[in-house]
Amino acid sequence: MKVAVIGSGITGLSTAHNLAKQGVEVVIFEKKTYLYGASGRNSGGITTMMDRKELIELAKRSIKIYDDIQGEFSFNFLFRKDGYLKVADGFDMGRLEKECRLQRSMGVKVREIDPFEIREIVPGFNPESVDGGFIGEGGVIFPWPVIWGYVEGCRKLGVEIMRNSEVKGFEVENGELKGVKVKDETIKVDFVINASGAWSVLISKLAGVELRNRIIKEEICVIESLKPFIDPYILNISTGVYISQSARGEVVGGVVGREATEPDTSSTLDFLIGYAKGAAEMIPLLKGLSVLRQWAGVYDASPDGLPVVGETELKGFVQANGLGRRGMSLAPAIGEIVAKIVLKGKEYDEFSPSRFQFPERTTEN
Amino acid sequence: MVKNRKIVCRCEDITEEEIIHAIDEGYDDIENLKRYTGVTTGFCQGKGCLMHVIRILSQKTGKPPEEIGVTTQRPPVNPVPVYVLMEGEYK
Repeated sequence: MKVAVIGSGITGLSTAHNLAKQGVEVVIFEKKTYLYGASGRNSGGITTMMDRKELIELAKRSIKIYDDIQGEFSFNFLFRKDGYLKVADGFDMGRLEKECRLQRSMGVKVREIDPFEIREIVPGFNPESVDGGFIGEGGVIFPWPVIWGYVEGCRKLGVEIMRNSEVKGFEVENGELKGVKVKDETIKVDFVINASGAWSVLISKLAGVELRNRIIKEEICVIESLKPFIDPYILNISTGVYISQSARGEVVGGVVGREATEPDTSSTLDFLIGYAKGAAEMIPLLKGLSVLRQWAGVYDASPDGLPVVGETELKGFVQANGLGRRGMSLAPAIGEIVAKIVLKGKEYDEFSPSRFQFPERTTEN
Repeated sequence: MVKNRKIVCRCEDITEEEIIHAIDEGYDDIENLKRYTGVTTGFCQGKGCLMHVIRILSQKTGKPPEEIGVTTQRPPVNPVPVYVLMEGEYK
């Protein structure tokens, strides 16, 4: 069996790794280079504090995989588990309370925390800036070594990774996928995994498959290094502003992304202004520090905000996308599921692409 | 002081030996070398070290500097304090 994976982000690499472990011949086609789309441009927030049972299970499993696989890859992911803190204005606290009940029922360690207690955990936090929050399992991972580690792990298992290799089309016979067209040649494969993130709709179109994911652009910046003082990853669900501190002291933060018409990674001053206001409101001492560098990443989100995982009406064409901004938290476990779908024909009903072909079954987010 | 330690990136305290080690590990293009070692990502954003990194990469790989290219330059050109940005109007 030969499988082509499109995209060398965290989803594509973890899928390739799981398939190669089972002896499958895998080739990864990457239009750009590693760390280009979302996997190399995110802030590394990891948590099990999700709002759906299936997502919590995947996030738990992914953390376990991160723990185990660093040794196997001989790569340190710098995974710092100092907690994940969601804060909110009064209007949004109900949402956090509701998801907290679900999380607790599934054994996730999470508890409510008042703004003054937040200040005890994060020195300099302004208790007037939010009405409350919840703190639970999670922390910050460094996305780059995660990707390098998976690249090494894949290579050791014989996975061929072709960079600067844009997929131009597919060969289809009688409703079955037979090959991938890359650089003037057609490579015969049994399965194609569409793990191309922000490019997932474009790739689906090439295969004649409908996918209604949206492209989301999210901007991030880095503020100069300080002695570590922000332990948990902080996400304000009311303003969309998030802040964390990297292992080398840089304060990394951004604002939850907005829909874009194409995968565009340009930076804007508007973002910096919005982030500066939102971040300094939560942690006023950031005012006196300087922004060193800004960038943008692109990812995709499905109509109901949940991942799209499974074989499509085109036999052999498998979706593994729509992870939204939770890719780093979910993808290691999703790679295992995609491998099972390919190897055992197992259908993962919850996230099947076919759910969008039936009348509305949309959920929150 | 150790004689052979040549600091290339002053902001992030990275030596020529560390850069050579990274190139040997396979991070032999400018973008991956930047991410693997952290060179050009500190306070100066590469203004002080990028030319040295290109020189080392050229010497190690035999590629001319024009082929190696430069890292993507990201805004702002110089560090901008948060209190200045806060004065802007957010659309």
